[in-house]
Amino acid sequence: MDATYVWPIILTLALVTFVTRLSFLGLLAHVHLPNLLRRTLAYVPPAIIAAIIAPQVFPASAAGLPMLDWPRLIAALLAFAVAFRTRSTLATVSIGMLALWSMQALFRG
Amino acid sequence: MPELMTPPLHPLPLPLPPRLALRAGASASLPLLMAVVPFGVICGASAASIGLSFAQAWALSWMVFAGSAQIVATQLLASGAPAWVIVLTGWVVNLRFMMYSAALAPHFRQRSRIGRWLGAYLLTDQAFAVTLGRIADGREQRETAWFYLGLSLTTWLFWQVASIAGILLGSFIPASWSMDFVVALTFIALLAPLLGDRLMRIAAVVGGAVALAPQLPFKLNLIAAALCGAGAALLLEKLWTPPTSGRSS
Repeated sequence: MDATYVWPIILTLALVTFVTRLSFLGLLAHVHLPNLLRRTLAYVPPAIIAAIIAPQVFPASAAGLPMLDWPRLIAALLAFAVAFRTRSTLATVSIGMLALWSMQALFRG
Repeated sequence: MPELMTPPLHPLPLPLPPRLALRAGASASLPLLMAVVPFGVICGASAASIGLSFAQAWALSWMVFAGSAQIVATQLLASGAPAWVIVLTGWVVNLRFMMYSAALAPHFRQRSRIGRWLGAYLLTDQAFAVTLGRIADGREQRETAWFYLGLSLTTWLFWQVASIAGILLGSFIPASWSMDFVVALTFIALLAPLLGDRLMRIAAVVGGAVALAPQLPFKLNLIAAALCGAGAALLLEKLWTPPTSGRSS
């Protein structure tokens, strides 16, 4: 991949990530985190994590619209059940992948 | 948050000397490694699979050092998104660190600048969650920073080893295995524990729905999802909470 495009992105992302982590530990050490900002920050992770998951479960068609892909949907629902029960990344990923592969074999054959 | 000055029912544990607090932190990280190591391997493998060089893929792991943002940056790089969108999206994914930073700040106030900067660099979801649990136990503030350092340094070390393993493995995995789905499953494991609260569930449903909307220009879907998801949750929080009741959380 084009290094003139990739390196500046990595370096800038590293810098903004560090500054975000440092925010109240260093730069704003004596500032109190406003309540509204704290609650907004709490709602961002579920929104963005769900947004990362959704297009993988409903892959886009050639026209850019989400499609129903049964193996992926079933595997994802099963993985959610495992994640709720076990809270284990390893169990969620392994059972999810096994489900996806078996469903793909089943739907193909 | 005001400290309650009621005497504890059981005597508080004595403060540990730095060396022992460091070691206690390192041992506390061991149960987390079950989640950290597979995620690190996946991040490394994704970065390698889109054609980044070893140096670039590893730089994501040691310079950015934030799995979710690494994955998002990797996916956006592969899709050819503009540089500013990649950085902005990665930053939004990492905004939660600001919340963690504020929560840990009181325990780092007495530390040197180097200590605070190192603590900031090593800040992760896992290190934050475990340290917060320890703070809730009523431990001495002075040792919290050392405990945190032992915990986050161990996590960092395992993250690097796992990433390197993933980078080396990543280029050998055939496309027919649908390994991209591993990323979705990893995030399912991250999302499930957040969904205990009704407003968090609403943020997730709205965010997921917005991400499925037809492609926005410049691949801004994730930014739009974060804005709409968090916005919807804040709005409903306002509607559902009676204005006079003093909500503290």
